[in-house]
Amino acid sequence: MSEMWVNMGPQHPMTHGLWNLRVRIDGEMIVEVDPEMGYLHRGIEKISEDRHYNEVITLMDRTCYVAGMAWEHLYVMGAEKALGIVPPERAEWIRMLSEEFQRLASHIMWYAAFVQDLGLMSPFLYGMRDRDLILDLFQSYTGGRLTYEYMRVGGVRNDLPEGFPAQARQVLDWLEPRLVEYDRLCMGSEIFRRRCDGLGVLKANDCVRLGVTGPMLRSAGSKRDIRKDRPYSRYSQVEFDVATADSSDVTGRYLVRMEEMRQSIRILRQALDWLEHHPGPVLADRLPRWLGAPYAPMGREGYLLKRNYPKGVGLSAIEEPHGEACAYVVNEGGEHPYRVKFRSPVFANLSACSHYLVGYHIADIPPIMGSVDVCVGEVDR
Amino acid sequence: MALTTLWDVAYFLASGLLYVVSRIIPPLSGVLSNGDLVWGLSALVFGAILLAASMINTIMLIWFERKMLGRFMDRRGAMHVGYAGLLQNFADGLKLFRKNTFKPRDADGLGFYAGPTAYMVTSLLMFGVLPVSTGWSDGSLPLSMLLALVIFSFAPLFIFISAWSSNNKYSLIGGMRSAAQMIAYEVPILLAVVAVVVISGSFDLNTIVSEQRNYWYWGPLFLAMIVFATGMLAEMERIPFDLPEAEAELVEGWNTEYGGMLFAYFMLADYVRALAGSILVVLLFLGGWTLPAYFPAALTSLPLAGIVVLMVKTYLVFGVFVWIRAALPRVRTDQLLRIGWMRMIPLSLASIVFAVFFVLVKCIPVLGCVPSMGG
Amino acid sequence: MEWNAEGVRAQLAAAGAPGILSVDPFDGAAARVRFSPESASALFPVLRDALGFTHLSTVGGIDWVERYEVFYLLWSDAAKRYLLLSADLDAKTPHIETASTVWPSANWHEREAWELVGIGFDHHPDLRHLLMPDGYSFHPLQRSFKLHEPEDLEVKVRHV
Repeated sequence: MSEMWVNMGPQHPMTHGLWNLRVRIDGEMIVEVDPEMGYLHRGIEKISEDRHYNEVITLMDRTCYVAGMAWEHLYVMGAEKALGIVPPERAEWIRMLSEEFQRLASHIMWYAAFVQDLGLMSPFLYGMRDRDLILDLFQSYTGGRLTYEYMRVGGVRNDLPEGFPAQARQVLDWLEPRLVEYDRLCMGSEIFRRRCDGLGVLKANDCVRLGVTGPMLRSAGSKRDIRKDRPYSRYSQVEFDVATADSSDVTGRYLVRMEEMRQSIRILRQALDWLEHHPGPVLADRLPRWLGAPYAPMGREGYLLKRNYPKGVGLSAIEEPHGEACAYVVNEGGEHPYRVKFRSPVFANLSACSHYLVGYHIADIPPIMGSVDVCVGEVDR
Repeated sequence: MALTTLWDVAYFLASGLLYVVSRIIPPLSGVLSNGDLVWGLSALVFGAILLAASMINTIMLIWFERKMLGRFMDRRGAMHVGYAGLLQNFADGLKLFRKNTFKPRDADGLGFYAGPTAYMVTSLLMFGVLPVSTGWSDGSLPLSMLLALVIFSFAPLFIFISAWSSNNKYSLIGGMRSAAQMIAYEVPILLAVVAVVVISGSFDLNTIVSEQRNYWYWGPLFLAMIVFATGMLAEMERIPFDLPEAEAELVEGWNTEYGGMLFAYFMLADYVRALAGSILVVLLFLGGWTLPAYFPAALTSLPLAGIVVLMVKTYLVFGVFVWIRAALPRVRTDQLLRIGWMRMIPLSLASIVFAVFFVLVKCIPVLGCVPSMGG
Repeated sequence: MEWNAEGVRAQLAAAGAPGILSVDPFDGAAARVRFSPESASALFPVLRDALGFTHLSTVGGIDWVERYEVFYLLWSDAAKRYLLLSADLDAKTPHIETASTVWPSANWHEREAWELVGIGFDHHPDLRHLLMPDGYSFHPLQRSFKLHEPEDLEVKVRHV
């Protein structure tokens, strides 16, 4: 069989979303790859220019549909810096709690999809079952299971309900032994190790050169984690370790994510302890009224410009479940952000894909792309 | 007239039918009493019973797998249609039957339609050969085991025909993989069967089973059984060897382009092959329809007891296959072929040597081997 | 070293970074450095090699109607700081030297900035459409590209 191009996508089980990986194969070996993106491009950055600051939060949930909280957090932090608003202490802790729960849910979702790609059927459903518990928790305080619209510029929408810490601890107690079980199902299987060891290798210096971040970078031994290096929210006040591995292959990424889940549980327990003993407001006082809706009848441009809107730019960066995410919010005065630029970690991780796919088998594409944890919503935005 | 075999039943039904028809229309009685006609009609009835039994069993096998996989995955499996979802697969089949069968524009019509049909037919042929109990088929084919394996090995040809004529790259890769895999695993399967032949001295499945009345072959030929069962897993294309239809990379492999009833053919034929493969494992290594001597003879002499015993064993063997499916990831093509050529073939050769040794010293005290008692 | 405007300016001067126009104090852990686009190809290697900004986080563009701005977000593992580089480009034919020779990760980010904002990157190895279909001739993130007229919409809602 001579070389041929195979379109893996846009509708293909490997893609976990909507994108097209064009692969040139020689027999079963990958010779060249050419990803085609844009099938899920919704122009979130453009739509944001026409929206009030709080209205953009709705779009953030849709940016990465399995990590909505993390993106909400990223955006509200950027917008607060651009507007000069400081959220109250309790809101910061609730945001950190939400983000860690989201990381846990996202990693469990990743685990489920990843093992499914390898042909392991049962752990997929175990993962979905356990993620549901976290979604139930989200539902109990945000009302939503996937798109939360919970955070606000200047705080969060509402406080946690009565008895939430006890409920959350129950979920964490259930999850901890499950993580051991997940690990046994994968690392205990000889076939799993043979499918994953030495695949998709990307060394640390290549990762840095190519802008690859997150678990992929940490699996190569680097300890870069925005939560540690540039603490935001209240990450400086909780104890956790940065998970690393040194094999820089699929197994390494698997191990890093597994360890991150354990660390997330550790952070969550500390956050729950704090939240239990520190009641307080969750939304800043005296927020501008135009954050969520037009303050004055519009249509007269001059009238708007006469108002005393603050100006500024805000840069925020978080360690999203997939890697380093940044938001750059430019506020030029007015009720809408002038420009919002998001840095998606998967976008950068995916842009390097020819470096970790070429030279492997076509059967290695699902585990390798699975270990990248592609979320097309945030690649295309 | 004692109805001891399925052939007797078929003959009885056919002649009864002809008798009734000749009483209703007397002028036809001369034609209808023709012996060839009776024989031919009995053959048809025989085939119809066989087909019905095997199809019902296949569909039950799918139900069994769905329920079992459901339990493994902490869910319930099919449960809404019929009691405990027993009729779910009939409903699914009906849905597929009602679907429009379409052909891709650039696909080759003959191969596209002939492939699945031939795959289905050859898979069903298996049940004409496999004896399910002493009272199943009248008389026995002296080479029935070889015939069964030959029919089993038709599959890659038809898979490749349908993959090639679908004119789809995924189908093509899947078909290639399927052919490579099945051919690679034919060899250890046949070698493992040689060990059985050495020990039983016959190519006839009936004889092989009756030779196991004292001890089942899974004791002395444990290695051969493992090789055979693993090879069967690969032949059935089930996880961990389901690479030809690895949905993560090849969508659905060689049946990507198929839908509706043509897909149902593939799906059903896969399970027909799974059923036949499980029955083969039982017949060759697990004593077929015999029970160990400590079961009361009255139990085994009950009508249909042999079939029930064999089916219970078959479902248990298939249960192990399902268990494997629920627990293991899928291997890669090169790994699969390496396992086939470099592990399975030496192991099966070793089991032949072991069988010869066993025959020479007649009995080695290993698990499952009890001294032969005058048999 | 102090991570404020003076500290960054001093460090840039010590490393001999060419074309620096100004350093704004910005956001505690990041500094905003404006540079002239002509010196881009000389400045980027200095930033990467002498100042340790090995990781290019993102590249983006802003349409200020009378001019364009291109910004680069850099991260230094040693200093654990972000550096926001920005350059003003001519409104008529905005273009700048590609950063992908220095930071290969700029490749896709520049493709995106090119197709969405309309900033050209000279000597880019592979300047094709990324998110938009091939042959798409608009640049959606330019201010002249209107989704709808928000004022009209608001007024309509108000009268209903």
